[in-house]
Amino acid sequence: MFLHPGIIALTLGSVIVLLLVFFASALGIKIIRRWDIKSSSEEQLMLERKTYLVSTLVQYALLFEVVSIFLFIYTAEDIHTLLAGAMCATGSLNANPFGFPALYAKIAVFFTAASWIAVNHLDNKAEDYPLIKMKYKLLLAALVLLITEFILQFLYFLKIEPDVITSCCGVMFSEKGKGIASSLASFPPLPAMILFYSLFAVTTATGAAAYKQQRKPFTYLLSIFTFMFFIFSIAAIISFISLYFYQLPTHHCPFDILQKEYYYIGYPLYAFLFAGSFLGIMAGVVERFKKIPSMNRIIPAAQKRWALYSIIFLTIFTLIASAPIILLPFRLY
Amino acid sequence: MIKTENITKDFNKGMRDEVTAVKDVSIEINKGDFAVLKGPSGSGKTTLLSLIGCMSRPTSGRVLVENRDVSRLPERFMTKVRRNTFGFIFQQFHLIKGLTVSDNVMLPLYPTDITPSELRKRAEDILNTLGMSDRKKFQVQKLSGGEQQRTAIARALINNPAIILADEPTAHLDTHLSEEFLSIMRNLQQQGKTIVIATHDPLVYEKEYVNLYIEMRDGMVRGAGRKH
Amino acid sequence: MAINKHKNILDYTLQSLLRRKFKNTGIILVFTFIIFAVSSIILLSYSLKKEAGMLLKYSPEIIVQKILAGRHELISTKIKNEIMGIPGVSKVEPRYWGYYYDSGVRANYTIIGIGVSGIENNRLIKGRMPSANEKNAAAIGREIADARIIKKDIGDSLNLQNSEGRWMEFKIVGIFESDSEILTADLIIISESAFKSLVGMPEDTATDLAVRVANETEIPTAARKIKELFPYSRPILRDEVIRTYDAVFGWRSGLILAMFAGALAAFIILAWDKATGLSAEEKQEIGILKAIGWETSDILEMKFWEGLVISLTSFMCGLILAYLHIFLLDGFLFAPALKGWSVIYPHFNLAPFIDFYQIAILMAITVLPYIASTIIPSWKASITDPDTVMRG
Repeated sequence: MFLHPGIIALTLGSVIVLLLVFFASALGIKIIRRWDIKSSSEEQLMLERKTYLVSTLVQYALLFEVVSIFLFIYTAEDIHTLLAGAMCATGSLNANPFGFPALYAKIAVFFTAASWIAVNHLDNKAEDYPLIKMKYKLLLAALVLLITEFILQFLYFLKIEPDVITSCCGVMFSEKGKGIASSLASFPPLPAMILFYSLFAVTTATGAAAYKQQRKPFTYLLSIFTFMFFIFSIAAIISFISLYFYQLPTHHCPFDILQKEYYYIGYPLYAFLFAGSFLGIMAGVVERFKKIPSMNRIIPAAQKRWALYSIIFLTIFTLIASAPIILLPFRLY
Repeated sequence: MIKTENITKDFNKGMRDEVTAVKDVSIEINKGDFAVLKGPSGSGKTTLLSLIGCMSRPTSGRVLVENRDVSRLPERFMTKVRRNTFGFIFQQFHLIKGLTVSDNVMLPLYPTDITPSELRKRAEDILNTLGMSDRKKFQVQKLSGGEQQRTAIARALINNPAIILADEPTAHLDTHLSEEFLSIMRNLQQQGKTIVIATHDPLVYEKEYVNLYIEMRDGMVRGAGRKH
Repeated sequence: MAINKHKNILDYTLQSLLRRKFKNTGIILVFTFIIFAVSSIILLSYSLKKEAGMLLKYSPEIIVQKILAGRHELISTKIKNEIMGIPGVSKVEPRYWGYYYDSGVRANYTIIGIGVSGIENNRLIKGRMPSANEKNAAAIGREIADARIIKKDIGDSLNLQNSEGRWMEFKIVGIFESDSEILTADLIIISESAFKSLVGMPEDTATDLAVRVANETEIPTAARKIKELFPYSRPILRDEVIRTYDAVFGWRSGLILAMFAGALAAFIILAWDKATGLSAEEKQEIGILKAIGWETSDILEMKFWEGLVISLTSFMCGLILAYLHIFLLDGFLFAPALKGWSVIYPHFNLAPFIDFYQIAILMAITVLPYIASTIIPSWKASITDPDTVMRG
């Protein structure tokens, strides 16, 4: 472990998020145990008011988590110069076994917090708050994930040692560097391209169907396809999309597109991918809440909206991803 | 329009300083009524008014607003009902100092999805009808008592409420201003709004157009009468 | 999407902040100061790092030093050809450099003797560089020119005492002037032969050898070969130098930041206190808002905007002040702690450098704790009973 401003910022941020969610969960447990919508006791009124606090805490935690993901990637990028053999953020994250798991945990926390907010949003529309207990159980799951994330991130930074010149021996020949894979294993570009665009077509088609009719096979399929599309899009970015952005046949780094040299194109790219996938997945996840009487009008309206935004966002994502393939002179084939 | 069924409101329930402010009250107010809640201070008028106006929930019993039971609604929805149905006028006006007349009038609708230009237009229209258009840019603390009161009325009307609730509105006004206030209320009633005033001022409850009296004492209804 | 609603609430928040100017000015001032301090550290350490990177970009891939009993020794230039024979090595050059202590102004200068090829990177100069066989010409850094009692300019002379105590006179033919001065501020460049006679360096020796390797991937292999051929040598890779600089800057700024954590914590407590201690007037205002139709979440949103406006205002002010402090006033408050290895420099200007990452770090250590500390007090304010105003 070494003192680096980025590492200090991330650790501080994680501690804050952890405290917020920890506090929210403590309130959540109380709400799970004592909640009684039919009661007009002062205790129930107080619990009801505490739900506002919990949702505020989770909303802020989500906001901080988004910042934290980018800060984490940027810090990995920044410290790659300290690690022999690391060429970019990928190299830094591979420097020890906790780097990538910590990033995945962050993304998982992001999705969980976002889905909590989505469920909360729906629940707050029904007068009897039917999802309340389920919602607070989800919050406990988020807490577990968050603790995992915190530990992984802490271990990652703890185990990183910068390779610096020591007074006894000047050179290490940077041989250690060979141990850090500076690139991610990637799909061969051409099959990946074909698969990527066909999956996009299928996903948007299902999305359109779910938009027209918020019925079971469509919403479930939309969930499945957007999830697949999300995973595969990440693979596609590594496999071929990044190559076109960098105009280099071998640079597969999914993080460099967040840099100034590439006009920060990675930000809109990932933002639309994450938002579009999330909404698509949620459209199917909430399907089972339709059974609840007070929800049977709220859910389809939300599904319709989410399906529409999902298609729009994923289309924008695909357009951004395809732009360099069409517009820039670089050709893989 | 508004109906209460055996409502009771306790404060600090289960504690040593438990108080029952309203006990077992059943009343009914119809559309277009000019109702007066009458009684000495501490008789529970204000608490009853806040229960009717969806500002607080009864400990037991039901409150029905336009045939909808609101007594068990979560705060989020209570507020919606309150914002859509009621206009409030408070004893001390409760205007926000430092804001202009028109800003004060617009306050209730800020958290709704109304466009700023439409909101401004609405506020201007209401201030016009109350003869306050030349005062709209004034800060409220610089207004006279009567003007402050008209500002408070304008604020109560901005959401175009069906029911206007007023709590001791004439307590701090002289006779002339009290009469002016009542005539504005009478006007609103004639336009089809329901008026409910809590007061112990004879000037109010002796008005001939008051058609419903509810007399309270010690949190209970002592008598109610309807004039046709 | 209720855009208008958010706009209206933001509008109201701004109005209410302006009404309470004086109350909020205090917190903004303190917060601005904290952000200024933290930003100064980050900006300074990143621009020093950037500066070091710029400097090293043109330096050779490998520098070979001779080590004798663990200390740096003069290296024989005769091994040059053997190193040239290592595959991948494109060029080997002896380098002549050292320090010169000037008792008149009590400063240490860096002296470099340049050979036939000269310094490739002479974009910094006003005037010209001394040529290889010029005995009495020197190019000097601006700092040396200014440090003398009489300001030196091109054409003036500079006297240096040689190893035998005799004075040597050099004519100034060039002065370095640049935005980026960490490298050149204290520099004196003279010809290789003048350097040798000034310091009394034996023939066929050099301070160290600069080895150029064209292909990045062959650098470690070449370095290993050099070490095998000349066990007394110490090859230093450019990448290692960069890494060391980075680590040192990161570590130093981290340390100072950690020291500031105390100040930050104190501020958070202040913020908490301020947010909790609502005045009677504010409490009543929230009560009125709730009574006339604002909902708990609307008040929370108002408080969110309030926190955002306060922290972003402070953030902008603090950041701009820090920028001016570092890049216009040379970071005079913190530079001594961060520069460390270059305290001998009287002063130098840094090239302005700021990016997203630094801003993100700064936000995470200042705005984020502030916002988090206001959540609970805001909530407490927001749950005011709507009927409080009626109860009087």
